[in-house]
Amino acid sequence: MAKRKAGGAQSKLKRIWRDRVLYLTLLPTLLYFFVFHVIPIIGMKLAFYDYRIKGDNVFVGFTYFKKLFSTPVFFQILENTLIISAMKIFLFFPMPIIFAIMLNEFKAGPFRKSVQVISYLPHFLSWVVIAGIWFEFLSPSTGILNSVLSNLGFGKVNLLTSKGSIRWVLLASESWRSIGWDSIVYLTAIMGIDPTLYEAAKIDGANRFQIVGNIVLPALAVTMVTVLILNIGFFMNAGLDQVLNFTNAAVNSKIDIIDTYVYRIGLQNSQYSLATAANLFKGVIGTLLIVSTHLFSKKLTGKGAW
Amino acid sequence: MKRRKKISIGKLLCGFIMMLLALCMLVPLLNILARSLSQPDLVHGLKGYDILPKGFSTVNYQVILGQPIVIRSILNSLFITVAGVFLNIILTASAAYVLTRPGLVGKKVFMYFFIIMMIFEPGIVQEYFLMKNIHLLDNLFSMVIYRSVNVYYLIILMRFMEEVPASIQEAARIDGAGHFDVLFKIMIPLSRIPLITVGMFYAVFRWNEFFKSSIFLTSKNHTVLQVLLRQFVVNSDSQVIVGAANILANNNIAQLDNGSLKAATIVVAVVPILLLYPVILKYYTNGVMSGGVKE
Repeated sequence: MAKRKAGGAQSKLKRIWRDRVLYLTLLPTLLYFFVFHVIPIIGMKLAFYDYRIKGDNVFVGFTYFKKLFSTPVFFQILENTLIISAMKIFLFFPMPIIFAIMLNEFKAGPFRKSVQVISYLPHFLSWVVIAGIWFEFLSPSTGILNSVLSNLGFGKVNLLTSKGSIRWVLLASESWRSIGWDSIVYLTAIMGIDPTLYEAAKIDGANRFQIVGNIVLPALAVTMVTVLILNIGFFMNAGLDQVLNFTNAAVNSKIDIIDTYVYRIGLQNSQYSLATAANLFKGVIGTLLIVSTHLFSKKLTGKGAW
Repeated sequence: MKRRKKISIGKLLCGFIMMLLALCMLVPLLNILARSLSQPDLVHGLKGYDILPKGFSTVNYQVILGQPIVIRSILNSLFITVAGVFLNIILTASAAYVLTRPGLVGKKVFMYFFIIMMIFEPGIVQEYFLMKNIHLLDNLFSMVIYRSVNVYYLIILMRFMEEVPASIQEAARIDGAGHFDVLFKIMIPLSRIPLITVGMFYAVFRWNEFFKSSIFLTSKNHTVLQVLLRQFVVNSDSQVIVGAANILANNNIAQLDNGSLKAATIVVAVVPILLLYPVILKYYTNGVMSGGVKE
């Protein structure tokens, strides 16, 4: 690569000409992103304009942002988004770790394999299907939960229409869907542990709990920190697909999140500018979060989001 | 080292919890299957934890698959999935190939561009307007083009292609092979495992997608299965599938159990996933399990 130093701009041009086929090959992908991402992103400037069906939109500055922040509903929605995200990130966080550690107690074999095959499956079901399954599961008339409760002498409950329980239903269904799949990354880290460490611990007379505490958990520390930090980057996404399928009139005020709000006021009520303002607000905060958590994680553990 | 014969209480407890968790995931699924296959007059006796049908009947499937709108939506979903994954693979593989060529001028700029595209998503109002403006609204191709390239998968493919020894490619180039020969005859066959893996994930995503489909595909004829399923199962609008006229006119349908019809529709929507699942396990999970993770 001595040429690069000597040739400068000219050799750069030469190399571009040499690789012209490559640039042409990349063109469809670039075009796709330009048309379907860049153009609509630029279109989000609508947040600063009044939408007109005929003629040019009128520039109104931060009017719609002011309107947004003076809407009481918006703060309820912000609160819902943050609470649901926090529940999903922090309460769910230890579950796949415990799952992976417990799974690791079993040698590779039919039992372990069956648990893996079954527990990874829900990750591949759509939220529509999961909602269908969970509605059946929680059904007051035929569901497992209420069958068990009534056998134990308790009354029937409908967790799907109760304001107090719906967020927990979101957490539970998210855990149901992800506990197995999310444990893979930890299981991989556990399997990377040097076997001689176990042998040494055994010779020293350590029991299983000591081995988990002194060998397995420290080996998982980097993965744990990375997963936690990177998940915090997605704090503004509380799970649109899930909420859309689990919501109903009785509980909507508790699980209405930014994404569902944007969808409702934008596409159903045609308040385009206000919806775009909310969307842009979410997008900017979300981007800042993702970029900063990525950089932070990269610095701390050497692993980033990409 | 002596093998311990005694199983500790801790391990027993672990096994019990694991089994309970696995049952929590399996039983509701099997229960749906049992409900869909139960005889309509016996299904009221089916409890939530039953995994075997009460009686046996395929009438629910006959009714569901006898509705033109269901067949229509299945075909639409299949078309979007197949055409979409084809586009996904072509674009992702070719972009990954180009971006891993040594000495490509502007590679960094392209990568920054793609990563920005990955982080900052366009607003849904604007996406809707865009589809409207380019006349793709209510056209299946809107959903084929939507999410043509997932940048995360692009990066995964790039990492694999970077691993292919440069000497193999250079040898081919010296032999007079063009970029397309190298891409199709060397790179794609060599990275077929990550390609299949990524293809599977694209396929699952496309088959399961419902939000954008419900926005872009506005007419009944262009509905996809997940959207139909949502109206039926989540919104409990049985007319979308069975049809008001049918409920009144057809004794057979009136005697059916709504819950069983829903269950049958859910099963129909899950079958393609179950067909892909073994392939996913084979290519993705086994790779991860055997420690083939790149650091």
